[in-house]
Amino acid sequence: MTATIDEDRLSETFAALANSTRRAILARLAEGGATVNELAEPFEMTLPAISKHIKVLERAGLVVRGQRAQYRPCALDPAPLEEVSTWAERYRPIWEARFDRMDDYLKQLRATTKGRQGR
Amino acid sequence: MTNNGSPDAVEIERIVDAPLTLVWQMWTDPEHFRAWYGPDGATIPVATMDVRVGGTRLVCMEVQTPNGPMRMWFTGEYREVIENERLVYTESMSDENGRVSSPSDMGMPAGHPMTTEVRVELRDIGGRTKMVLTHLGIPHDSPGAAGWAMALDKLTAYLAAYRDRRRLRRP
Repeated sequence: MTATIDEDRLSETFAALANSTRRAILARLAEGGATVNELAEPFEMTLPAISKHIKVLERAGLVVRGQRAQYRPCALDPAPLEEVSTWAERYRPIWEARFDRMDDYLKQLRATTKGRQGR
Repeated sequence: MTNNGSPDAVEIERIVDAPLTLVWQMWTDPEHFRAWYGPDGATIPVATMDVRVGGTRLVCMEVQTPNGPMRMWFTGEYREVIENERLVYTESMSDENGRVSSPSDMGMPAGHPMTTEVRVELRDIGGRTKMVLTHLGIPHDSPGAAGWAMALDKLTAYLAAYRDRRRLRRP
């Protein structure tokens, strides 16, 4: 398996996604940009707690913040999600090869069983 | 691509020329499992499987390297066991005692997620078996799974739109 993507960043993406609050934040951002206050609304959490989650998402590159000092609205950057999808696709040839071997093995089993029955 | 577009999953569908019960054994009987599971050039010297919900599994994969054989261990837990129909288990890299280790400890790419989930669904189609494998980067029945599925749907739609936009921008 050759790594063509930044592995550290990929594991950060997975770590960022492995939390239900952060996934909810991303889902909200998929509908459009929002301020931290707006993002915090549906949660029973303090603003600092929500900010912490947003920082994790920022570090993983999934969220970008606007430069306007007052609001600094958050927006979703889906590029790291594409890398996650690349991860998944690397597994495809491995599984395909395994299933080819399963086919071969089943053929062998069938041949042995037939051989035994024929005796 | 049979992937349903989910950014963290690989889905493969195969028709296996064997009866349902035998294909189920391919996954749950260590002796059968060892015969096919190792990737090319790898063998499976150890496979223990306590195939019931909450039961653990431990699989050793041995790869030949120029410096001699290298062993990698994988542990996991069975989440769903419906005989001849549906098998769901998690998978993490571990040591030989099944203690979960971080991928980088094992000299594996750091990008490999800590725990992945493997789902196998089987269906009889006239003596042969339709097998659907789904390998997920994040176990979907972890806490907040419903929220995850919803979030994932939205992200998937967003990602598709993002890809379209990028394609359009190219000359």
